[in-house]
Amino acid sequence: MNRLLSANFTRLIKDKIFWLSMIFMSLMSVYMIVMRYITTKQHGYRLYLDYGFFNYSIYAVIVLSVFVSLFVGTEYSDGAIRNKIIVGHKRSDIYLSNFLVCTAVGFLICIAYIVPTLIIGIPLVGFFETEIQTILLTGLCVFAMTIAFSAIFTAISMLNQSKAIAAVITILGVFLLLFIGIYIQTRLDEPEVYDGYSYSVGGEVVSVEEEPNPLYLSGTKRDVYEFLYDFLPGCQSVRLSNMIAPDPLTMSVYSIGIATAATGLGLIFFRKKDLK
Amino acid sequence: MDYVLTTDALTKRYKHFTALSGVSMHVPKGAIYGFVGKNGAGKTTLIRLICGLSQPDCGSYSLYGIENSQKEIVKSRRRMGAVVETPSIYLHMSAEDNIKEQYRILGLPSFDEIPALLKLVGLEDTGKKKAKNFSLGMRQRLGIAIALAGDPDFLVLDEPINGLDPQGIVEIRELILKLNRERQITVLISSHILDELSRLATHYGFIDSGQIVREISAKSLENACQKCVRLTVTDTKALARTLDSLELEYQIVSNTQADIYAKINITKLALELNRESCDILSVQEHDESLESYYINLIGGAHYE
Repeated sequence: MNRLLSANFTRLIKDKIFWLSMIFMSLMSVYMIVMRYITTKQHGYRLYLDYGFFNYSIYAVIVLSVFVSLFVGTEYSDGAIRNKIIVGHKRSDIYLSNFLVCTAVGFLICIAYIVPTLIIGIPLVGFFETEIQTILLTGLCVFAMTIAFSAIFTAISMLNQSKAIAAVITILGVFLLLFIGIYIQTRLDEPEVYDGYSYSVGGEVVSVEEEPNPLYLSGTKRDVYEFLYDFLPGCQSVRLSNMIAPDPLTMSVYSIGIATAATGLGLIFFRKKDLK
Repeated sequence: MDYVLTTDALTKRYKHFTALSGVSMHVPKGAIYGFVGKNGAGKTTLIRLICGLSQPDCGSYSLYGIENSQKEIVKSRRRMGAVVETPSIYLHMSAEDNIKEQYRILGLPSFDEIPALLKLVGLEDTGKKKAKNFSLGMRQRLGIAIALAGDPDFLVLDEPINGLDPQGIVEIRELILKLNRERQITVLISSHILDELSRLATHYGFIDSGQIVREISAKSLENACQKCVRLTVTDTKALARTLDSLELEYQIVSNTQADIYAKINITKLALELNRESCDILSVQEHDESLESYYINLIGGAHYE
């Protein structure tokens, strides 16, 4: 597998999409921190480095979906994957080497966002307000989530011989997962009751009683939503972008579980796949 | 005889379609094995199976004596190179970078052999030009160069001359002959361009509807393709009497024509026929080609 990794990383270094992804993440990082600084100056209140620091957990998975589908898809569109099989490499090695490279890229594009934020952000807006341990645990959670997304994207791209179809599925898939995340978060944020309030009309005071919110989730349904909120990578991405990770270790374990399941299934199907 | 590749009752089905049905073939060491069949006969399916790109439903194959069910088959595969359908090359890379990439895949530490390999396939002057800007012939040659990385003993080429211009066809033919003669590389080459195959192959395998119809060496095929002389005369009865007296094998084709399956002395025959008052109107040499052999074998009727 070392040979395949060496070949893949060499190809990566020459890959335009990889460098565009890195540049995009770095520019986004610089833009966000500068905007935060401008806001701080204009409105006179302080926004610490924490604020929006983990937004990259959303940008990274979107960029990664594009990268993985194109990088792996090129193996099929150019037919180069056949060269690896013909000369006797095991299919599992080919699959895992692609997964490892895509995961490494996932980490690198996160780092491409984090490093400029720290270098420019600390002098401009200061250090983190939150405890560093929380920041590190949340960061760990983002990296674990990146592994889960990388495994899902690799499975889709390795099992689809059409680069275009793989790209459409991964990109639409990531947005679908993010929308599901936003939807679940919105539903869980619904208040249990609408507060009562009073207002005056022509000197007459009208009072509206407190009433239950029909959208509020309760019982088993709430438990299921809460589990999905912790479990689904799209939900994790939305949560982590807002630095909401009350139990980062459990979320990381879920991510590793998803990555293992996606890779296992991908390997099973890829071993039997007829390559055209 | 040593065989590089043997297949035993290989079968491959796609849903309700049987692409290969019990195919058994034998590729001798050092041969240029012409794998002949019309489109959809199962040539590419068989090549995909032996390259490990798909799995057989039944049957087995051996590469250098190692069966596909054995783990060691991956080691045998390292002794082969292949170009299946289209050349497998990264289009955004130059010829040299493509070969370097294959060297890394093979784990070859030194790139010293790459210039010689590029020269062998005639791509030494392509510089940094990307493969996407190559002609079809250049891509095909680059595909062969990649297949040759790692110095294989067995080269599998699937329709290597499809879509090439005449110059490209000649270049590929010369390259294959060079590899076979100078490097003793065994070549399995599939094609339906029979004229071209007949210039290369030392052995043939004919496949039709997913079944091997016949395997034959080029020498045996040459013997099977009987040469004859077709005579047009004024009196075939007189001709028959004369040929009987000369003890020559022949066949009367029509009222005026006959095929003679032997080397004949035209002057002697003409004198003998003159005694029978029979004139020779024309003499033509007939040589059955690979094409006519193939049509007879597969059954020309359903192509008409």
